[in-house]
Amino acid sequence: MDLILPYLATLVVFFFIYNIFTWGLNIQFGYAGVLDFTFITFVACGAYFAGVFALGPGSQQNGFEWILGLNLPFPIALLAGALAAGVLGILIGLIAINRLRSDYMAIVTLATGTVIYGLVSNFTPLFDGFDGLAGLSPPFAQALGLNSNQFTYLWVVVSGVVMVICWFIAQRILTSPLGRTMRAIREDQDAAETFGKDTIRVRLIAMSMGAVLAGVGGALLMGFIGAFSPAGWTSGETFVVWAALIVGGRGNNWGAVVGSFVVAVLINEATRYIPPVTADPTLIPTVRNMLIGATLILVLWVRPQGIIPETRRRFFQLPLRPGSPPVQEAESARG
Amino acid sequence: MGLIIQSVGFGLVTASVLAVAAVGLTLQFGVTNYINFAYGTYLLLGGYLTWTLSAKAHLNFIVAALLACLLMGAIAVVIARTVMQHFVSRQAPLFYLLIVTFGLSLVISNVIEAIWGPGFQTYNIAVGSPLNLGPFSLTPNQLIIMGVAVAAMLAIHLMLTRTVLGKAMRAMSDNKDLAQVSGINTDQITMVTWFVTGCLAGLAGVALTVTTVSFGPASGSNFLFVIFAAVILGGIGKPYGAMLGALILGIITEVSAVLVSAAYKDDIAFVALIVVLLLRPQGLIASRGRA
Repeated sequence: MDLILPYLATLVVFFFIYNIFTWGLNIQFGYAGVLDFTFITFVACGAYFAGVFALGPGSQQNGFEWILGLNLPFPIALLAGALAAGVLGILIGLIAINRLRSDYMAIVTLATGTVIYGLVSNFTPLFDGFDGLAGLSPPFAQALGLNSNQFTYLWVVVSGVVMVICWFIAQRILTSPLGRTMRAIREDQDAAETFGKDTIRVRLIAMSMGAVLAGVGGALLMGFIGAFSPAGWTSGETFVVWAALIVGGRGNNWGAVVGSFVVAVLINEATRYIPPVTADPTLIPTVRNMLIGATLILVLWVRPQGIIPETRRRFFQLPLRPGSPPVQEAESARG
Repeated sequence: MGLIIQSVGFGLVTASVLAVAAVGLTLQFGVTNYINFAYGTYLLLGGYLTWTLSAKAHLNFIVAALLACLLMGAIAVVIARTVMQHFVSRQAPLFYLLIVTFGLSLVISNVIEAIWGPGFQTYNIAVGSPLNLGPFSLTPNQLIIMGVAVAAMLAIHLMLTRTVLGKAMRAMSDNKDLAQVSGINTDQITMVTWFVTGCLAGLAGVALTVTTVSFGPASGSNFLFVIFAAVILGGIGKPYGAMLGALILGIITEVSAVLVSAAYKDDIAFVALIVVLLLRPQGLIASRGRA
């Protein structure tokens, strides 16, 4: 019993954090149609910046080297991580988002991510290279006098509260005029432009907002694990979030929750606890990755709209009759 | 100065590998009109098949490499037939195919790791001592790679200009609907294109893994972006542009490895990619009358 509960609590923390990730990607791709193939880079940006804000200064003497090291409380570090990821979102968006075909967007995001990965891994003064950040003591644990199991339960509450805030932000954007503009651009960029919408600016906003959520999730991950290194954000991790969004159903945030449960918790995290096959220790991670890639293709094949499809919003009833009142955001299931 | 001239020689070797890979990618893009993000894993699979055929089945290396290229062609056709065509025939939005090939790259790279393991492999062929040719100093293997690449490019050129098949490919690349009403069997041409692409990917994979000497499951993942850079530099979907882009990028990356640092070789290619995208997104060779 005292083994199962902390294990379940750990899974719940991962589930909450992956919800935040999937909503972030949903804002970028589900709302605005931005093909972000390097989502995990924003997660890493949030985790690293939260880390260097919360950790003490690193020095070459003890073999740890990183920038800043401000020793600030975790909530401030979390905001710093979110902000840094948002800024990175704008920077990558400025290169990737233009009036060219969507292939370019995919290529540029993927290429930028790879280059950033290479720089962070090789340039040790930044975030300690391949070894990564380590040694962050569990936030709030010392002040509250918690042991490691109690800290896990605390983190369920912390990530739960942050998740609820993120849910309101994501839902607010979805139903706002900005969200409507994003969906209009996703459906037809030229038409949206004809109506005077600055499509590049709106897509940049979507990219940046999605990145902020990625950064928040990354910061929560950093606080929970206490360490973060390039091994934790290989490009394969981006697939996990993509698979979650596509499986659950893009364009609506409930679908993202279902997807993150199925892909991120059931397939990705739960299989980490299967004991490795001694003859071939890399077999289980390999099979898991194959499974995630295959799930992605299979869902697009049999049910491209995902488990929970996006609802179509209608703003008037056809045929139009004089005097008939406009329908207020009536929702109808996609046929 | 001698070192820079020397690095131009290595640049020509890199350009040869890059040209074969870039032409394969751009040919398929021109005909099918979507990018294959799994292309990097095709290269790697070609290298591994050659390794198995030569080191395990004890075939002559040249025979093994040729067989691996043909096998890769067949594998590319099978994957396109079973997976990609499903989405193409239902006229799925472009991003479906991008996500599908993105997912495919994850599946293939993990299949490679499951079969051949995470370790590094080396071909059992002699590296050979470098020969001095004018200012350059290159190994016999590097010279053979350059020769094979030039021969492959020549073959592609002849195919595109002299054969009905090549003309049909170019017609499809210009306008698929017009090609179809002109009586071109577009499905058949698409599959032949996938075969040629697979063969070129296999060839480029063998050449790449011979130049890097030892290779593992992660090799070539960065190379995909250099290929993309070459393809975009030359104008997407244009085989001759890809050859030019490969030549320019091959030399730029190797010379910059001497001038800046070898660790940032791929970053230089990436910077070139960004500059091209910002200044001349249609590529160096722009087609007339099209944006």
